[in-house]
Amino acid sequence: MIFEKFESFVGVNFFTLIFAWANLLILYLVLRKILFRPIKGMIDSRQKEIDDMYESAEKDKSAAEAMRKDYEERLENAAEESEQMLRDAQRRALLKEEEILKEAAEQARRTKERAEEQIALEKRQAMNDIKDEVSAIAIQIAEAVVARDVAAEEHAELIDGFIAEMGDKND
Amino acid sequence: MNISINGPGVYFTIPILGGIRITQTAVALLAVTLLLILLAFLVTRKIEKRPSGLQVIVEKLVSMLYNLVESTMGKHNLHFAPYIGALFLSSLFGSLIGLTKIFTSTTGDLSVTMAWALVTTAMVWYSNIKNFGFKAWLKGFTEPIAVMTPMNIVSEIANPISMAFRHFGNVAGGSVLMSVIYAALAALSSVIFGWIPGIIGQIPFFQVGIPAILSIYFDLFSGFVQAFVFCLLTMIYVGAANPPAEELPVKKKKAKRKKNS
Repeated sequence: MIFEKFESFVGVNFFTLIFAWANLLILYLVLRKILFRPIKGMIDSRQKEIDDMYESAEKDKSAAEAMRKDYEERLENAAEESEQMLRDAQRRALLKEEEILKEAAEQARRTKERAEEQIALEKRQAMNDIKDEVSAIAIQIAEAVVARDVAAEEHAELIDGFIAEMGDKND
Repeated sequence: MNISINGPGVYFTIPILGGIRITQTAVALLAVTLLLILLAFLVTRKIEKRPSGLQVIVEKLVSMLYNLVESTMGKHNLHFAPYIGALFLSSLFGSLIGLTKIFTSTTGDLSVTMAWALVTTAMVWYSNIKNFGFKAWLKGFTEPIAVMTPMNIVSEIANPISMAFRHFGNVAGGSVLMSVIYAALAALSSVIFGWIPGIIGQIPFFQVGIPAILSIYFDLFSGFVQAFVFCLLTMIYVGAANPPAEELPVKKKKAKRKKNS
């Protein structure tokens, strides 16, 4: 055997004890520096990153939800608005139609009136013309009857009276 | 058949301070330390945000350690986790390195387990004095009644001794039992196969296989359990000495300082 001697089986070697302390201290310091802290830091930072990601995703989701609600509301409003607009337009068109019809009727009435007036005027004129003609004819007839010149001026009154009588009968 | 149960062998003695004996344990301790540092260096060589392969396992183990420390000692004592981890790895690898037969188990030497147990006790005493004050710590020995004082002192001293002997006894006992079993199996082999002439009769056939199964218990399982128990006791004792901030007594010094300011 290469050993000088053996320690007692159950016993404490003071130098081994110091050596154990030194080894444990070195292991603690080294493992803390190169193993525990870096790994734990990595786990924690990853955890934080994931938490942040979830949080931001949640935020985005709620923002999208709000936007969707807003759009839906707007869409609903738009449908209502367009319906309203249609109704307005219809109402206005009806009004316009009525107005146009009324105006047309008015115009027609006025045209008719004017036409009637014209007719009346022309009738009177024609009547006058006829009277004149008739009086001239009457004078001619009278001349022929009496075979003498009838002084138109002298008998005008007489003739006119006759014609008026005749015209009245004609009416 | 000869079984010699010895303590760790002494390689050589450095002739200072009354002779520093460099034992098998001291060499094994150094081997464990170097091995663990090398392993730690290898597994953390490239750690990435997106873990793969080995890093996943290492991260799982580290987070298990932190979870254990948090559940046993509380969130405020999480800074003890690296020490507990170093202690656990020292203990586990110290027990398992005996399997190599090149080194002996470091935990099979009372010096080592005693050193660790004393660290635990020192941490407990230091924490108690720091958190509750020296007087309160001394007063704690007379509770719940003054008659209990000797008992309390004995239990305080017995704590590190029981921790050290539990760990040492399990590992050393296991290794003793294993050498006894090896010797017994060799004897059994020579009884049964000894009549065969030549070298074949000398081969201890029964030493194949049977010790492996027992070794799983005495070395692997026991080494793991003892490392865990030792760390758990350390966590419980140190955790009890470091209660959460709201359970600490208001310190007079701080109160004074507050008054002055």
